[in-house]
Amino acid sequence: MCLGIPMRIVAIDGYNARCEAKGVTREVSLFMLQDESIEVNDYVIVHVGYAIQKMTEQEARSTWELLDEMLAAEANAPENS
Amino acid sequence: MTLTAQDWLNKIKTLPLTRRVRIMNVCGGHERTISMAGLRGALPQKVELIPGPGCPVCVCPEEDVYLAMQLALHAGVILVAFGDMLRVPVNVPKSEPRSLEQTKAACADVRPISSPQEAVKIARENPTRQVVFFAAGFETTTAPVAAMLLEGVPDNLFLLLSGRLTWPAVAMLLDSETPGFDALVAPGHVATVMGPEEWSFVVEKHNIPAAVAGFTPLSLLAAIYSVLRQLLEGKQFLDNCYPEAVHPGGNLTAQKQLGQALHVADANWRGIGIIPASGFALNAQFAAHDAGKQFIGYETEGRKRVGDMPPGCDCVRVVLGKIYPNECKLYGAACTPRTPIGPCMVSDEGACRIWLASGVKSHSTIE
Repeated sequence: MCLGIPMRIVAIDGYNARCEAKGVTREVSLFMLQDESIEVNDYVIVHVGYAIQKMTEQEARSTWELLDEMLAAEANAPENS
Repeated sequence: MTLTAQDWLNKIKTLPLTRRVRIMNVCGGHERTISMAGLRGALPQKVELIPGPGCPVCVCPEEDVYLAMQLALHAGVILVAFGDMLRVPVNVPKSEPRSLEQTKAACADVRPISSPQEAVKIARENPTRQVVFFAAGFETTTAPVAAMLLEGVPDNLFLLLSGRLTWPAVAMLLDSETPGFDALVAPGHVATVMGPEEWSFVVEKHNIPAAVAGFTPLSLLAAIYSVLRQLLEGKQFLDNCYPEAVHPGGNLTAQKQLGQALHVADANWRGIGIIPASGFALNAQFAAHDAGKQFIGYETEGRKRVGDMPPGCDCVRVVLGKIYPNECKLYGAACTPRTPIGPCMVSDEGACRIWLASGVKSHSTIE
């Protein structure tokens, strides 16, 4: 529940944005970042459908890389139910 | 120069540790990375990583889950909750449903959601029904719930809120005679929202080294190195090993929204008891959306309770970092992710579930 994931903003409509990460798109609320200037192609950390902070592209990519390695390890774990 | 996880590991191995150091984390996400990446096995034996109170589902009061079940069964509502809440067991006779999931067999309308926005959507799509959103979570999850309220919710959406603050449980441990840890890794996304300064008390009041960490092995190892080095040098400070997301002051907009929609109140933690000023409650202007005020007669005060946790379940000591998950008699035997007995085996953030999912059969004991 608590894992926030970096996503790229694809489109913005008011407080709502469509975000993408690894080919998965999701509707994300920008309500908690309304005092920040946010543009398409910015990266944000998304938690339960809400962007909680901005991130640079490089930070987002390196986070994804490291999370990927870990998720690959998790997929091979013995008792993953 | 950017250091890799291996670099940090090597740096940790060169530290002249002379005694055991117990480092507590208070975030299910941290524990997941530690377990999945096998950090315990990679670190020097003297370094112990202890999962502490980092699972909001695990500390959600049993009576809140029971009340949600009663609303689902008898109030005719659509009950929505984050997925891992649905399988949390309550203590009832064997003939009765033990979890929200099991109330579905009795025709209750219970639906998992992954965002507060989904709760709003379900309420809008079902204008003739009452929808109760059972929301358990720490600050990172409760702030979006506050945002949802402020953005405007339909009249038929009600909130059963079990929001908790993370730091008061750590403060309670540190104020006790046996905190059980020598250093703290502070939760990255809680600090992203609330600001890292919330954790200053650990260093300033208790002289315990602390570092905020993100959720990659790299960030966690940097934090572990930081607190070990602080201990060795006797120079404690609050380090930030997740600067890409954790900014000084945190997300001020989110904090303002939290204050506009909710206020801090004393709150019960399952099996632990009331911790002062450790929970969130709805502000008066949202009373019309407060399930606790709008659904009267479903209170559970007269109910005979066996106890907070099921018989034999050691979740309380696991949550408080007093024992490792495998030290519970039920771990991996009677209690597994498929047949969970206690909440720590249910939630993705529960230490028992994380340990079993990553294949931990046995491990050393804490004391």
